Amino acid sequence: MPELSAVHHPLYQLRRTPFHARTSQLCLPHNWRRWGGCLAVGSYDLGLDREYWAIRNHAALIDISPLVKYQIAGRDAARLLHRLTPRDIHKMQVGQVYYTGWCDDDGKLLDDGTVTRIGEQDFRLTAAEPQYRWLSMNAVGMQVQITELTERMAALSLQGPKSRTILNLACEQPVDSLRYFRMAFNRVAGKAVSVSRTGYTGDLGYEIWMDAADALVIWDALMTAGHDYGITPTGILAMDMARVEAGLFMLDVDYTSASHAWIPGQRSSPYEMGLGWTVNLDKQGYFVGRRALEREHREGSSWQLVGLEIDWEGLEREYAVVGMPPQVPASAVRGSVPVYAGPRQVGYASTSTWSPVLKKYIALVHLQQPYFTPGTKVEIEVTVEHHRRKSPATVVKLPFYDPEWKKK
Amino acid sequence: MTNPDILIVGAGHNGLVAAAYLARAGRKVLLLEQRAVAGGQLAGATLTSGAVVPGLHPAGQLRPAIVKELDLARHGLATSVADAAYISALPDGGSLRLVSSANDAATVEAIRRLSQRDAERWPEFVAFMHRASAFLDAAYATTMPRLPQVDLRADGLPLASLALKLRRMGGKDMFRVMRSLSMSAVEFTEEWFESEPLNAAIAGVAIHGVTLGSMSAGTGFTLIHNWLNRGGLAHRTTTGGPQGLTDALVKAVLANGGEIRTGAGVAQILVEHQRVLGVRLESGEEIRASTVVSSADPRRTLLGLVGAPELPPEFVWQTQSIRMRGSVAKVFVQTDGRHGLPEGTIAIAPTLEYLERAYDATKYGEMSQQPYLEVTTSGTDVTVHFQFASYALRRADWDSMRTELEKRAIDTLTLHFPAFKGSIQSVQSITPVDLEQSWGLTEGDLNHGQLILDQIFFMRPLPGWSNHRTPIDGLHLCGSGLHGGGGISGTPGRNAARVLLQR
Repeated sequence: MPELSAVHHPLYQLRRTPFHARTSQLCLPHNWRRWGGCLAVGSYDLGLDREYWAIRNHAALIDISPLVKYQIAGRDAARLLHRLTPRDIHKMQVGQVYYTGWCDDDGKLLDDGTVTRIGEQDFRLTAAEPQYRWLSMNAVGMQVQITELTERMAALSLQGPKSRTILNLACEQPVDSLRYFRMAFNRVAGKAVSVSRTGYTGDLGYEIWMDAADALVIWDALMTAGHDYGITPTGILAMDMARVEAGLFMLDVDYTSASHAWIPGQRSSPYEMGLGWTVNLDKQGYFVGRRALEREHREGSSWQLVGLEIDWEGLEREYAVVGMPPQVPASAVRGSVPVYAGPRQVGYASTSTWSPVLKKYIALVHLQQPYFTPGTKVEIEVTVEHHRRKSPATVVKLPFYDPEWKKK
Repeated sequence: MTNPDILIVGAGHNGLVAAAYLARAGRKVLLLEQRAVAGGQLAGATLTSGAVVPGLHPAGQLRPAIVKELDLARHGLATSVADAAYISALPDGGSLRLVSSANDAATVEAIRRLSQRDAERWPEFVAFMHRASAFLDAAYATTMPRLPQVDLRADGLPLASLALKLRRMGGKDMFRVMRSLSMSAVEFTEEWFESEPLNAAIAGVAIHGVTLGSMSAGTGFTLIHNWLNRGGLAHRTTTGGPQGLTDALVKAVLANGGEIRTGAGVAQILVEHQRVLGVRLESGEEIRASTVVSSADPRRTLLGLVGAPELPPEFVWQTQSIRMRGSVAKVFVQTDGRHGLPEGTIAIAPTLEYLERAYDATKYGEMSQQPYLEVTTSGTDVTVHFQFASYALRRADWDSMRTELEKRAIDTLTLHFPAFKGSIQSVQSITPVDLEQSWGLTEGDLNHGQLILDQIFFMRPLPGWSNHRTPIDGLHLCGSGLHGGGGISGTPGRNAARVLLQR
């Protein structure tokens, strides 16, 4: 018997989520991706259309268990999160969910996620990357317990205009009164869950949090309840297109965590990422990065994340040179593409995608001051038959897509 | 005092020095001391056990510049210091008596009995040690730059003048001093001398007060540091003693218009948005001031009095990482006078290995079976400095080990001075936990942070924070945990005052 090679060592193997028994049966093209050390379905089909349109037209069921999750509980739980994030956690009501980034003391983002106030002294924090050390470092001198829930808690995201209807059928209590960015306890198939009206698609949607042991029962119950409404198991690639339309960015794709940046220039502040609305400089007490953020607020940011719409006729002209109609990518492109003002590069796109619902070619772009002002005309690089060319584009406010039923 | 400009936390010698300088410069200074008396480690205390014990240092001198600038002679400080003898008790029952001047004939003769070669090198050694401590003195008097970002405008001139000063002292010597800092006491002394008793006697001073053994790297540095503070191997006693020093400093503070409140322990340094507001006393009284200078150790000041929640996480982590780890205990013995101990500084440091083995105990959270002792007498009183006594005992607590501590000190000393045990009338002791409880020294560390290579110069108290400031605007540090600190010198207090007055 040959020795096991290093890649077979448990350390190098990707974990399976609690839904693996179901998702692996359905993932016909074996299109797996890596997410937080887990196997995550990229797509259940060879193309993304069916899953993408499920998000926008009916209901997509997405396994989001790889999210890093913590319970933060105890007398100083609110105090810890108030110190950790730029949001005013003391103002949060029980059952409320905040989206927020958090920074190092230079005011540069480390990660982003949601904070849910489960109880007066009980919170749930989600993150893209493990945060235990950072949380512990911030909890010195506080009475608080930090417990990682990542593996013991499974989570599903049900996104799309029909998600509420399906949940009302599957849940013991109706979710009609659950407002945007609120959380409530409920039961599905007799199992306790918490349901938050949150998501990563910019559509009507919910996230369902449960004990990992109950994962399959709840998956089956949702699939049964959603059958008549076109519930569709959906991979993270279709979600990636939807999140760009929603103007939502992703760690390691659209920004680099300050803890991983090789050079200062790779770091981003919340203001630069368009999260100025989450920075509450009027709140009481110290929070990490306060000084730096106060300064940036005073002096203005030199970069900003904004939307870019590529001008279709301009794109047609560039392709006409080689006698072709415009070509657009079949999925979201995670790669840096230069953006120009005249001959000078003034920024770059970090994710670009064809938006099927908007019929537009769009991108999340980082632009230098003053080019980030909406309405500004710039040019983006396009590769037309192996040749680099520039296509005209217009700076727009985020999100690109904001259906009225998202918050209703 | 109403509306003081500056509050100083702690009336130890560094707090007093800083207060005197600031008051002299016209600032309204209010000094707050938790205990009933000023003087910090130089003053005695009533332990939680009820025992009344004297101060922690048999002697102490402030740097001559401080004595001069604060005109301490006018305030009653005796400035003449006698050259004292350092007596190392040898394994064969004899002793080696050393006076740290290059030309002391008796010392050279005593060494000659051990080694002709060593006797010839002694004058050169003493001269080198005096030059090496002058180097250190010059470096200590200069505020260190905040690495890695050196502010040339603020730090450039003092650094350039330090470089020039060191250059003038001799380039060749500087190289030799630099090399000595990272060496162990064993390596350092064996480069000079071949006689074990002599090397061990010197190595005793190298490990004095620090949790390091004779074979630990960096005890070359601690040797020079202790030599600088003592002015040689032995403690030099002054008329008036440590109390005289405290009295003179108190007078200097008061004469310059400063105020000292004893029995006024600070419970909290008040902070809002990383800006100091003042302090809240244990009594609940709040006193406001735009500047607070703390002479308490950095860990206690920042994590205890300010509190981690007000400080940046990386800074908190760094502060937690300051190594304190005290391992010094004191035993005070009252005798009938027939203790048989000679006058001077007596060291129980018979061999280099003995010192290393004594230190080994700290690795396992124990108390040395055969401790390194340094003993001084004052009439019928005998003071024993005991190393090593781990602050964090792994298999016992200090309440139950106190008797054992006293026994080991007495037995070890009696081994070398047989008359000692019979002369004892009463015994009291200070454990590392007493140092923490009664003097406010975190982990019983007399130096407010170990004097190890990664905690000195621009890395003291923390890398990047060597300029007496903290992430809290208006909160400064002036205690022994700062550059130049460790032992009695007053340098951190003087440096802190200078930084504040430069603004």
